Amino acid sequence: MSNIQDPIKDGLARGWKVMGGPFAPPPKQITCDVAIIGSGAGAGITAELLTKVGLKVVIIEEGPLKSSSDFNQIESEAYPQLYQESAARKTEDKAITILQGRCVGGSTTVNWTSSFRTPAPTLAFWQDKFGLKDYNVDALSPYFEQAERRLNIGPWLTPPNENNDLLRRGAAKLGIPALAIARNVKGCWNLGSCGMGCPTNAKQSMLVTTIPAALDKGAQMLVETRAERFELANGRITALLCASQASNTASAQYIRAQSATKIIAKHYVLAGGAINSPALLLRSNAPDPHGNLGVRTFLHPVVMSSGVFEQEVKAWAGAPQTIYTDHFMDTQPIDGPIGYKLEAPPLHPVIFASTVPGMGQTQHDLLKAFPHNHTLLALLRDGFHDQSKGGSVKLRGDGSPALDYPLTDYVMDGARRALLSMVEIQFAAGAGKVLPLHEMARAYSTWTEAKDAVNALPMKPLLTKIVSAHVMGGCGLAGTAKQGVTRPDGVHWQIENLSIHDGSLFPTSIGANPQLSVYGVVNRLAQGLAANLTKQVVKLA
Amino acid sequence: MQRRTLLKLGGAASALLAVVGSTAALIRPGLERGTLTPAGREVFRAIAIGVLDKTLPEQPADKQAAVTSLLTRIDALITALPHHAQAELSQLLAILASGAGRLALAGLGTPWATASVADIQMALQSMRLSTLVMRQQAYAALHDITAGAYFSEPTTWTVLGYPGPSKI
Repeated sequence: MSNIQDPIKDGLARGWKVMGGPFAPPPKQITCDVAIIGSGAGAGITAELLTKVGLKVVIIEEGPLKSSSDFNQIESEAYPQLYQESAARKTEDKAITILQGRCVGGSTTVNWTSSFRTPAPTLAFWQDKFGLKDYNVDALSPYFEQAERRLNIGPWLTPPNENNDLLRRGAAKLGIPALAIARNVKGCWNLGSCGMGCPTNAKQSMLVTTIPAALDKGAQMLVETRAERFELANGRITALLCASQASNTASAQYIRAQSATKIIAKHYVLAGGAINSPALLLRSNAPDPHGNLGVRTFLHPVVMSSGVFEQEVKAWAGAPQTIYTDHFMDTQPIDGPIGYKLEAPPLHPVIFASTVPGMGQTQHDLLKAFPHNHTLLALLRDGFHDQSKGGSVKLRGDGSPALDYPLTDYVMDGARRALLSMVEIQFAAGAGKVLPLHEMARAYSTWTEAKDAVNALPMKPLLTKIVSAHVMGGCGLAGTAKQGVTRPDGVHWQIENLSIHDGSLFPTSIGANPQLSVYGVVNRLAQGLAANLTKQVVKLA
Repeated sequence: MQRRTLLKLGGAASALLAVVGSTAALIRPGLERGTLTPAGREVFRAIAIGVLDKTLPEQPADKQAAVTSLLTRIDALITALPHHAQAELSQLLAILASGAGRLALAGLGTPWATASVADIQMALQSMRLSTLVMRQQAYAALHDITAGAYFSEPTTWTVLGYPGPSKI
């Protein structure tokens, strides 16, 4: 047991009103000013701002409340406790594994701290194609600036670990600029365990910033409680029906009696993430006159290449993802062939072993080389082309969401180019062998050999290893009802007392790790909502 | 209930079940109450020996013990999966545990318990590179669960040269 102070335990001791799960059961009915569904990036920012102006807020989170005392840097405990579907959520055809948080703080509790403002070309595309004229760099900049101050987002001054420095050195050899990634940390210990929950509370996730602020101001939070559906009448939500929800690991240990809670609020804020938010509206039979709900869901599909170096890399140690290059996005038009961002992810045993392809001797050789392994990833910037319309959220028979994401030839062409770029950088950085993660690839010894091989690989789903940690879209913002689900001010086009404040708002992918895009955009929307509901002006920082 | 979820596996599964015989696969589900049945354990024991061939301990007794311990970890992993994923995995294991299903889906004529490492690997490889999506999906599920669960136990980390989390 560590001696790190746990701000959640402290808060609970101060009398935070948390119900559900291991806490007191919630009452049958709760009346409040605003009900916020979710507790991640969008929900956290909204909760802090709305409680600051004195509104009575209830936060509903389907995952558990876990905190630094629970975060022991062990994957087999973190994935079932903190991730959607135990970190094994997949698209309908199983071709893409999706990492998404499912706990208080949402994905911000488990992300790797990479912080980028929404890129200017992405905003220009939204203005041009979706009528979002106020979504420009100048108008959003003060809201980003506040979020950066509130969450201590800034340059990371510690030298990059070898895992990230290899990206920097390899890119430099090829004349490709690679820059440092800003991070939302305060007093970071440089452990590298961000993905399992920060054990030292250095990561300025919603779990340790905005959610505690809201709870200190009297917000109520229901955990392990799922928002099942809205009741709607005359273009308004009249109630939200919630049910207690067993945690991922609960079923074997104990089954709680299902209990139902009805929440009656003046206004509702949906911030459950880009799969669960559209799913709640689908379960509620929400109006969708133009067929925009749950479509244009984007993933930044990720392909990876694994290099083995003579020296130790220890990709598990040290701050993850501190170097990136946008060279392969900036050097081509946003609506041309798909662009991609390169980063160096951290590796830990479970995620590494389930990603290493093959079996027997070849797999064993790769496993043995773990300390020398350096994996690069490419985030493909989806959603900017006719052949990149993203996926669609559907409901299974039991009401749970499923995401269908067809990997088109256009996207897979980008996957091939991205693999080539990463392999070339890894050889330039001195890799002895490089294995593009594809079921038909093997470890190659030279760039020339690898280049020919990658050019000949069939770039098909399931053969090509693809993951995603960024789910966006499905409740898209647009200047007209015809083009989207959500108005530019964050209010649903057809439901007047519903705002949507999460990554589902984005009409395309972001083209960068999206957490700061959610913070910045939602900061503006929530300030607007606070002003509408109370006539008060409030700022995040 | 079983039938409804089965149909969700789609056309390929339906065709396969026609081959397997509509009830054969249902007699021995792969999972019950979120953990492996004896049928499911038999399949995963063989898959583990095939996938982790050079990684498992060499001595037969040690190898058996390592696989048995792995099956416990696979149970823990499966318990934490959502119901829809458990239902699909249960059906996959049920199909693979039946003789006809094993032949149709994995292309393996010998029972799992007596198949050689080479036979199991050949079967897995044929699923891995199959043109039938369902076979590819099955390979990916079996491979990822086996390899991931194996390395969720700290005693296995010596193979990886991973020292474990930093002390705080």
